[in-house]
Amino acid sequence: MQRQRLTFGLMLVLAIAAIVVLVNLPLSLGLDLRGGAQLTVQVQPTDEIPNINSDQLDAVKSVLENRVNGLGVAEPVVQTVGEDKIVVQLPGVSDPEQAERVLGGTAQLEFREQLRDTEDAFAQLFSQQRLLLFEIDQLRAADNPDPEAIAEGADALEDANRALLPLFGEALLSGRELRDARAEPLQTGNGWQVTLRFNPQGADAFAELTRNVAGTGRTLGIFLDDVLVSAPSVGAQYADRGITGGSAVISGNFSAQDAQDLAIQLRGGSLPLPVAIVENRTVGSTLGRDSIQRSIYAALAGLLLVLVFMVVYYRLPGAIANVALTIYAVLTLAAYALVGVTLTLPGIAGFILSIGMAVDANVLIFERTREELRAGKTLYRGVESGFYRAFSSILDSNVTTLIACGALFWLGSGLVRGFALTLGIGVAISMFTALTCSRTLMLIAVLGFPSVRRKPELFCPKLSLAAKTAQM
Amino acid sequence: MKLSVIKQQRLWWTVSAVAVLTCAIAIGLCLVRFNAPLRPGLDFIGGTRLQLARDCSISANCDEAIDVAAVRQLLDAQGLGNSSIQAVGKRQQELIVRTRTLDVDARERLQGELTEAIGRFDPALTQIDTVGPTIGRELFVSGVLALMVSFFGIVVYLSTRFQLDYAIFAILALLHDVAIVTGVFAVLGLVAGTEVNSLFLVALLTVVGFSVNDTVVIYDRIREVANQREDDTPFGAIVDDAVNQTLTRSINTTLTTLLPLLAIFFFGGETLQDFALALTIGFASGAYSSIFLASTLLALWRERQPATAIATSDET
Repeated sequence: MQRQRLTFGLMLVLAIAAIVVLVNLPLSLGLDLRGGAQLTVQVQPTDEIPNINSDQLDAVKSVLENRVNGLGVAEPVVQTVGEDKIVVQLPGVSDPEQAERVLGGTAQLEFREQLRDTEDAFAQLFSQQRLLLFEIDQLRAADNPDPEAIAEGADALEDANRALLPLFGEALLSGRELRDARAEPLQTGNGWQVTLRFNPQGADAFAELTRNVAGTGRTLGIFLDDVLVSAPSVGAQYADRGITGGSAVISGNFSAQDAQDLAIQLRGGSLPLPVAIVENRTVGSTLGRDSIQRSIYAALAGLLLVLVFMVVYYRLPGAIANVALTIYAVLTLAAYALVGVTLTLPGIAGFILSIGMAVDANVLIFERTREELRAGKTLYRGVESGFYRAFSSILDSNVTTLIACGALFWLGSGLVRGFALTLGIGVAISMFTALTCSRTLMLIAVLGFPSVRRKPELFCPKLSLAAKTAQM
Repeated sequence: MKLSVIKQQRLWWTVSAVAVLTCAIAIGLCLVRFNAPLRPGLDFIGGTRLQLARDCSISANCDEAIDVAAVRQLLDAQGLGNSSIQAVGKRQQELIVRTRTLDVDARERLQGELTEAIGRFDPALTQIDTVGPTIGRELFVSGVLALMVSFFGIVVYLSTRFQLDYAIFAILALLHDVAIVTGVFAVLGLVAGTEVNSLFLVALLTVVGFSVNDTVVIYDRIREVANQREDDTPFGAIVDDAVNQTLTRSINTTLTTLLPLLAIFFFGGETLQDFALALTIGFASGAYSSIFLASTLLALWRERQPATAIATSDET
């Protein structure tokens, strides 16, 4: 009994913790349930680069992130998938055409020379742009991002970006000529810099460009998709010949992260890799919501019937199973929230199936208990051996399902993976709740309440007289 | 009540054989007509699907049903003659157009012209799906590959926990269920135009999970009964006993899983209806095949083996 009390306490703690998790970390719904656009972008190999490596994929991802930020969507998600794809999720977006145009273009990295007599205007606009970038980042990182404020900020940023462009001359050098860009720690050990390397043509163009602005107080504008990402100035010592040799460093007040970001942006812009939108799924914000809502209500009604059935058919154990099932549902949903499962239609399928299996484990145990009672065992022994003998069935059937989940998660993609993950979590937790919750509650009922012990019909109706007398 | 699955095994086999054969014929017809075992949806062949609904908050916008002929003319003019067009919804206020893959510009142009010809659409009710042909293939290939590997894993696990023949018949029962669900959707594809998309693949996987689970529970009991009996008990009698001892459980479990699914099918929204139907058929077939096929086939096989091959696997 002491052990049962301990387990019972543990279950209570777990259930409360799960509820706390669910309140603080609500489940995120997939775009198929709440509307929005999901675009899959595939990086296309070229003759020069027939194989795409993870560096290049990251670089393209960074370019896409920049573009998504320009769209002013709250809570966008940009993820690399597989070897050559990037998935962009834009919840609640109402203008998928704009998103598709913005994301589908080829990244354009350009080096431009700042025009004469624009120093004042530049200083003001540049600091304004940096401030807006910082503010938008803050807004996005907030606990409850405010879509309107973000959209407003994005508009202001776009204005600033548009105003900056005319301050610079035409592009003298493009990303095509850039061979590499890397973040490196400063040799003094304090801070970071970004090194650039150009191909021979690029080296010449870069030398000319830097000679023009060296020591003038004007800057060298580095633009990605017409947006100024960096504006280094060039020291007066290069006024004669410019920075020659095809490599250069951009130094400034860089943190490791800033330097890394800039290097990735530059590399992304230097990629001559075209991208193509190979999949677009846009669901209107209210479409499907009705249908899903009705289905959820229907499923809940169905589950309610299951709970009623369990009590009617299995009596007291059925009621206990219902408690265990409720705990199961809460724990599973909390696990989804912790692991970061996004609930989509296949996820719901996995959840429904795992509920079915959780019920099944209980049914197996109770049927066994009944058999033991009919064979004349006492309640306590009946319950104990019911659990003991149902265990091998529960183990085998659940392990087979887990094996299938493992294979599907490992090899499957997208939908199939989501399904495998939710089902796997559900099955693992259902085994735990069936074998601990149901068992502990049953034993507490049998051991802790003498009145229960005298009424085996609470466990098994129509128990024969012979079996009944054996209980006494 | 005692059910003798062995006594009537020929009946069960005939029922299943006829069902599977019918399904095979339907799948064959689909192969001829669609060049695929089922009427393939957008996810598998690629293309663009536009679902638009008129904005009924604008007065006089929704007075008449959408004129499909006008839409067809408009599509023909754009060189999209091969597209499928459907007017759906309660008062035919929704339009579903499926075309070859359209890029943004082509799609926007089409949407613009449709708006001009038919009336304003509500963007909150719009659904756009564009799937490149390679995506569908990848999804399908990776799904099937994953399925194969999971079959293999199941066979390995079941043959260590039971024996190899148990594992093989469990997979056989599972293939039966997959065939039935696929067959029913092949028929629906031929008769009602039901298309399958990637969600159908997920439904099939769910059915596989359930079917194996169900079979394993019965096998577990067969093994247990076999261990309690004398070595010369006919395997058929062992199977009969095991099936009867687990019958209540089989019925109750199937019932409790089907209740929410049937509720979704009858009372839920359209989005999940096909999905719930696939699961319902698959789960019912899974319960049937576990009770009537996996067990009787195992008995048939075992009784044809020399007596020494009777299961002696250890009990846990």
